[in-house]
Amino acid sequence: MLTALGGSLIIAFVAGGLTLGLRSLGGLLTPPRTTAPERVPFLGGLGPETHAWSRFHVRYYAMALLFLAFDMEMVFMYPWAVVFLREGMKAMVEMLMFIVILTLGILYAWRERALRWS
Amino acid sequence: MAGARVEVVLGQRPGILKRLAAMAPVRVFAISGSESAEIETLIADLELEQEIVLTDSPRSANVLLAMGEFPGSMQESARRIHDQLCGPRRTLWLRQNVSAPSEAIFPKAIREDTHCDLALLLRKIHRDLLTGVEPSEEPILPDEEPALWRGVGPYGQGGTGMTGGVPYGRPMPETAPDRDGLALDQLSVRVGPFFRPFPSGLTLALKLQGDVIQEAAVAENPFDAKKLNPDFESGDPFIRALSEPVPVVEMEMARARHHLHWLCNALQVHGLGALGLRTRAIARSLSPGMIAPIAQLRKILRYSRSVSLVGAGVGVIQPDKIRDRGLGPVARAAGLREDLRMTDPAYQELGFEPVVHAENDVRSRLWQRLDEAMQSVTLAARSGNATSGGGGRVEGPRGVITLDGNSLPLLLGLLPDLLYGLEWGDAVATVVSLDLDLRDVRSQRVS
Repeated sequence: MLTALGGSLIIAFVAGGLTLGLRSLGGLLTPPRTTAPERVPFLGGLGPETHAWSRFHVRYYAMALLFLAFDMEMVFMYPWAVVFLREGMKAMVEMLMFIVILTLGILYAWRERALRWS
Repeated sequence: MAGARVEVVLGQRPGILKRLAAMAPVRVFAISGSESAEIETLIADLELEQEIVLTDSPRSANVLLAMGEFPGSMQESARRIHDQLCGPRRTLWLRQNVSAPSEAIFPKAIREDTHCDLALLLRKIHRDLLTGVEPSEEPILPDEEPALWRGVGPYGQGGTGMTGGVPYGRPMPETAPDRDGLALDQLSVRVGPFFRPFPSGLTLALKLQGDVIQEAAVAENPFDAKKLNPDFESGDPFIRALSEPVPVVEMEMARARHHLHWLCNALQVHGLGALGLRTRAIARSLSPGMIAPIAQLRKILRYSRSVSLVGAGVGVIQPDKIRDRGLGPVARAAGLREDLRMTDPAYQELGFEPVVHAENDVRSRLWQRLDEAMQSVTLAARSGNATSGGGGRVEGPRGVITLDGNSLPLLLGLLPDLLYGLEWGDAVATVVSLDLDLRDVRSQRVS
């Protein structure tokens, strides 16, 4: 009968074996070690002067906000689609009004050049 | 006995993976030094080889093709490019005089002269490298970081800045106001001298916010007029025309080929590689009066939506800055009717009228050079035995050439203002549109 100590030993051996096996496999699959000049980004032959971490202006934020706004519009269409057949023309007109208001929003954003890549 | 011999032979054969890898196209990163004319032809021919791919970065190549002699300030960069090649790596160094003494920039490189069968040699190098017949070259530069990344704490942690300490000796970017008045990081980057879309030797010191250029400066030209290879000029009909009459047909065909090769590079920079190769093939097989393929190419470009979007409104130069400065196609693309051929009797007899475009942007320079190539092929067919030149001034493909000068210093001087505020892609397109050649350093002889 397997005692608690024996079970623990088996688990320890299996865990140790797995660890060693995976580490060896990792060693086999790892690309060869690179030197410092090999690791720097390609800039046409010169090395970088500053660290690459830098904060920059996300200029597409206006476009991203617009995308989110109109993405939400689709979410409202799911419950509408469920009741559309039951409610009939009334639901159709309400959704048309909703779409028209949103379309006016797009046209306004377009006129204000919010869709231009800057 | 026979079975044992078969086994030995089989034992020497590389594995199937190696043999399959050796069958793949040869990926080559090319860098060129001071010997120009012949090398440009070699690269142009190489691009039309189906089994050879010229890459934009050494990261995706395992053969480095180094051509010509490299001035002192470019040697460190050449070595760094070597080390950045994807392994296993090998270098082929072509020089016009392979037996001449040279500095050991690439100590283990295979050295050949420029008359070898380049495509065949590259394929052999690639096959031997991938099948393990030849070993990979070791890195040349020492494995040393600029400095250790160490903060102020006892375990290297802590300190000022985002990371704590100075990461590998490289400071964090400085802060500067951007065009919206926000204080944002400004990245200092030097690009060159072997950045593929740029002419060899051009290094730009840039300050970038995101991919917008806030400041640009041109580093000193690494090529020295005193060390200019005389062979650089010997084959150039425009240089010969400075001192002696040269057949118009020879000059115009050289001009047409030059413009088409430039167009190939420009199309490749804009991601239109197939159209670029088509242009290269036309340039290689060009003969006087061969208008049809260029007209067909023009039609394709005209109706291509991609080309119509290329460089519109980008890289505009104020015409007053370039008026009467002999900038050739760049000036004519800005609406300036300037061309030395207008006053040349040989060209007057041919009824020469310069091609002019008015938009003055990157796209306009593209159409300008394509139309000039068509015009040159037509002129070459009609010129008969006419000759031109010998007066010390000639209209070259890049603008006016004199015995001791050219348009290069003026164009380089325009770059900082021209690049300010451009996004990186537009900046590259603008540099390409000016058709610079830093190896043409005759203007330095004056000083």
